[in-house]
Amino acid sequence: MKTIATGSLAEGTAGRTSRALRFRASWLLHLVLLAFSLVTLYPLLWLFISSFKSNQDFFGSPFALPSVWQFENYTRAWEIGGIGSAFLNSVVVSVLSLVLTLFLGTLTAFIVSRLEFRFKGLIMMLFVLGMLIPIHSTLVPLFILMKSLGILDTYASLILPYTAFELPIAVFVVAAYLTSVPKELEEAAMIDGTGYWGIFFRIIVPLAVPAMATVSILGFLRFWNDFAFALVFINDQALKTLPLSLSLFSDGYGTDYSLTMAAMSIAVIPTIIIYLLFQNYIMKGMVAGAVKG
Amino acid sequence: MAFTNRLRGFIVIGLLPALIIYLVFVIVPILWSAYYGFFDWKGIGTARFIGLGNYAEALKDPIFWKALKNNLIVVAASILGQLPIALILSLILRKSTLFHRFVRSAVFMPMVVSTVVIGLIWGYIYHPQIGILNVLLEQFGLGSWIRDWLGDPGINMYSVSAPVIWANIGPYLIIFLSAIQNISSDVEEAAKIDGAIKAKWLYLIVIPMIWDTIKVAIVLCISGSLKAFDLIFVMTGGGPAQSTELLATYMYNNTFEIFRYGYGSAVSTLIIIISMILVLGSQLLMRKRGME
Repeated sequence: MKTIATGSLAEGTAGRTSRALRFRASWLLHLVLLAFSLVTLYPLLWLFISSFKSNQDFFGSPFALPSVWQFENYTRAWEIGGIGSAFLNSVVVSVLSLVLTLFLGTLTAFIVSRLEFRFKGLIMMLFVLGMLIPIHSTLVPLFILMKSLGILDTYASLILPYTAFELPIAVFVVAAYLTSVPKELEEAAMIDGTGYWGIFFRIIVPLAVPAMATVSILGFLRFWNDFAFALVFINDQALKTLPLSLSLFSDGYGTDYSLTMAAMSIAVIPTIIIYLLFQNYIMKGMVAGAVKG
Repeated sequence: MAFTNRLRGFIVIGLLPALIIYLVFVIVPILWSAYYGFFDWKGIGTARFIGLGNYAEALKDPIFWKALKNNLIVVAASILGQLPIALILSLILRKSTLFHRFVRSAVFMPMVVSTVVIGLIWGYIYHPQIGILNVLLEQFGLGSWIRDWLGDPGINMYSVSAPVIWANIGPYLIIFLSAIQNISSDVEEAAKIDGAIKAKWLYLIVIPMIWDTIKVAIVLCISGSLKAFDLIFVMTGGGPAQSTELLATYMYNNTFEIFRYGYGSAVSTLIIIISMILVLGSQLLMRKRGME
């Protein structure tokens, strides 16, 4: 709109050439942007295309489409590669961590953002600190801690640290969102005789759904993709999550590239679908997390 | 009175579970690792108190410094690679047409993919025999450029930095976009009327106005690069001959490969200290520049 307005102010041939120039420049810019996007997407496209190839195709023509689409790569990876059980482990761990993060995060956000009490500032500060800590520096002490608690090699050894490290973001995103909700709602409920738990479950939780959606998606991506914690805390083959089995898979089946490619695609497809469906929430969450962090 | 007691009860019961999980799994481990750092301990048997021995040993180990230098290469690659690209893209992609949204989604896409998968994909791209990078160079007649991208200690830190940059432009783009959208359009109009050309407009108006956001982005870059562990661990494991060792892989290898828990704890503590120094240092530097 703006460019059209300024363009029409300019008169005569000078205006026309500058408009033509601008038109050509914008085309060039679009081409550059398109090329940039394709370069960014290419490694992923290459993964998906390769996942349907035979090993022979993979070596012989790395850039071409598969000569025969080998859909059975996926069923083979699911069964032989043990990707099925890894997939289920990832689902269990991600979902349970998410439920715990959402419940505790929303409850904490409600308390620190809507209620007055001593130590409130201290608790907020503790959570801010958590966002600045490099996760990997806690691997050794966490390993020792969980060994002494006897929870190494259980789902809990992933669920508890995932939840703990996701809580700061959950608290900040939900608390920021709740500041836009008028307090009169709770006061009215209070006068009606609703207790604090009632207010939390019947008023705050329904109101906070959009913020909780943001937390869910960010959390899910983080839990689903985690590698470091799974690498250190899980040893039992039957409990391995997707990223962990993939990293081992590529060694064990190192020469069966089509199988590895199919297994990687199985790991990536759910996150890409979720991303495409909920892009806006992810972007909002990114911004909220960054500004607060 | 009964009322406030109910409030107090709710607050305590409501906060306790989250606080316990958070303290036990985030805060306590940090204190523990500082404490374990004072012991010579193999994970089993008795721990022997050796004071600052582990810390001194790490600071004397050339591999530790090599790892720190490699980490700083990743930090530099992130700050110099991700931020300028994200900033330029955010200036171009402000409009919300279908095409602009497509580009934004494409740039963000690698962020949702597991770093293990990214590491494996780039491992294949760089593979000396079957890697598509070398095949591509061959096809374009650039056979002399072909090399062992992950094996050659002279270049492999730069090779592993490329996917780090590639995968992480997205979030900075989103952050910059939202910051730029907060700049009032009056400012932009005024700049246009003044005849300020684009580059000047960028330099004089946009950058100062989103300076706070750039500062946040640099902090995220620093702490994010210290996390580059997964990607590089999958691609090279820190090798060959520790040429791509990072602080985190150094810590991992010392603790879980040769079972020096005390030493690994000391290195963990040093990682936290170093990252805090980097974050604070970058903020101090930028405060000075921001005031000028």
